[in-house]
Amino acid sequence: MTDEDEAAFDEFIAARSTSLMRTAILVCGATSHDAEDLVQHALEKVYRHWPRIRRDNPEAYARKVVVNAAISKARRRRLIQEITFARPPETAAPSPDLDLRDALFEELRRLPPRMRAVLVLRYWEDQSEAATAALLGCSPGTVKSQAARGLAKIRERMNVTEGVLR
Amino acid sequence: MKVEDLLAEAMERQVGHVQAPPTLGRAVRRRHRAHVIRFRAAGAALVTAAVAVAVPLALNTGGPASAPAASSPTSGQDSAVVDSVTMPDVTGMKIADAVAAVRAAGLGVDGPEPVSPESADEIVVTQKPAAGVEVARGELVVLKSMTRAKGPQDLGDLGDGRTFGGIHVGYLPEGLDWSRWSGKNGFGKTSYTTSYAPGGDETDGYGVQIVVFEGEATQFVRKRMGAMPSVKIGDREGYLADVSEGGEVAKEPGDDTTATIGFFLRDKLAVEVYISPVYAKKVDAAAELKKIAEGIEPAK
Repeated sequence: MTDEDEAAFDEFIAARSTSLMRTAILVCGATSHDAEDLVQHALEKVYRHWPRIRRDNPEAYARKVVVNAAISKARRRRLIQEITFARPPETAAPSPDLDLRDALFEELRRLPPRMRAVLVLRYWEDQSEAATAALLGCSPGTVKSQAARGLAKIRERMNVTEGVLR
Repeated sequence: MKVEDLLAEAMERQVGHVQAPPTLGRAVRRRHRAHVIRFRAAGAALVTAAVAVAVPLALNTGGPASAPAASSPTSGQDSAVVDSVTMPDVTGMKIADAVAAVRAAGLGVDGPEPVSPESADEIVVTQKPAAGVEVARGELVVLKSMTRAKGPQDLGDLGDGRTFGGIHVGYLPEGLDWSRWSGKNGFGKTSYTTSYAPGGDETDGYGVQIVVFEGEATQFVRKRMGAMPSVKIGDREGYLADVSEGGEVAKEPGDDTTATIGFFLRDKLAVEVYISPVYAKKVDAAAELKKIAEGIEPAK
């Protein structure tokens, strides 16, 4: 690794790591400490191949590692939580003092991890359907349908919530 | 306002304040450095009698290959210096143990310890040269290690991870190693779980996860027993299905379904085995689940 490579890597980290951490938190619902660990791990992979990939698309590579690690982390967490803290749907409405956006976020968290990742990539990161599909290793059609189903679920639950809020 | 925009605002509100710490670059590089230990087999001594011998060896703690050659070979009276030794198998060992094993084989370390406190717990995932290969004088030995999984360690060190929660796992698909974490009571009271991944590395997801249900927790398996497609596991009854994240039987495997097999080992002891959607693309999930299930027995 040349000095120039090292400097470029520093620049890459300065420009991208905050965004990677935010995505990790949104996808797996981790604390920022856990997210940092996840991002460190992804960046270490990037660093290992840096001279080769720096001119290619290191960001897409890093994002792919982060998102997939976050989904896998969220899946485990979800499996464990679902059975331990499963609550019947009729008690699912959030308490009325929650702001609408907090309530929305709660609904997002309750979606299956992959569906949530689609929504985060599409609407938080503004990634195209094709780019989201590439990051998640699925077809653009799957992204489209998962996004639609995710939004529909949130909308459906929000109708109830909004009723509570007003 | 469209729900997409509201959602983006909600996400902004949750993470807008999060900033990556300025130390991140340093942490990444430290992590990277801790990954590779190189040392040169500058001299190899074969101990021929049970006499403590000063073994001459040199270590290059990760610097360039042009490290200084070892100190001149010396030998105790009852030892002979040979030109090569056989490389032991150190994969799967903690770095500290691996270095000790390489030493015990006749290669040694002359100079600072190659194991820093922060890397001592890392696990060797690859080694060069391979186990059984003769290591000649001056040859480079490279051990690559990986950070231990940070998952919960409810059941402690499980060794190869194949015996836990009262069961023994006799069969796992080739290439899967214990991911070095374990959980207790996450799937109901008195349940135990752990998982296995290619090379024990779960960066890209787990390969196989196993949950043991004991006592009261077996009710979860009991419920699914009638509701899911049944399968014969040896002479046991069980169920086998692709299960959606909502817990329903899916018509076909997909990115959000988990291939699942479940059965009772005996009264009040049940097991479920999952293959992740990612790993399911690499293997015949149903066939592998059956084989894993058939290989599970109550631990002795």
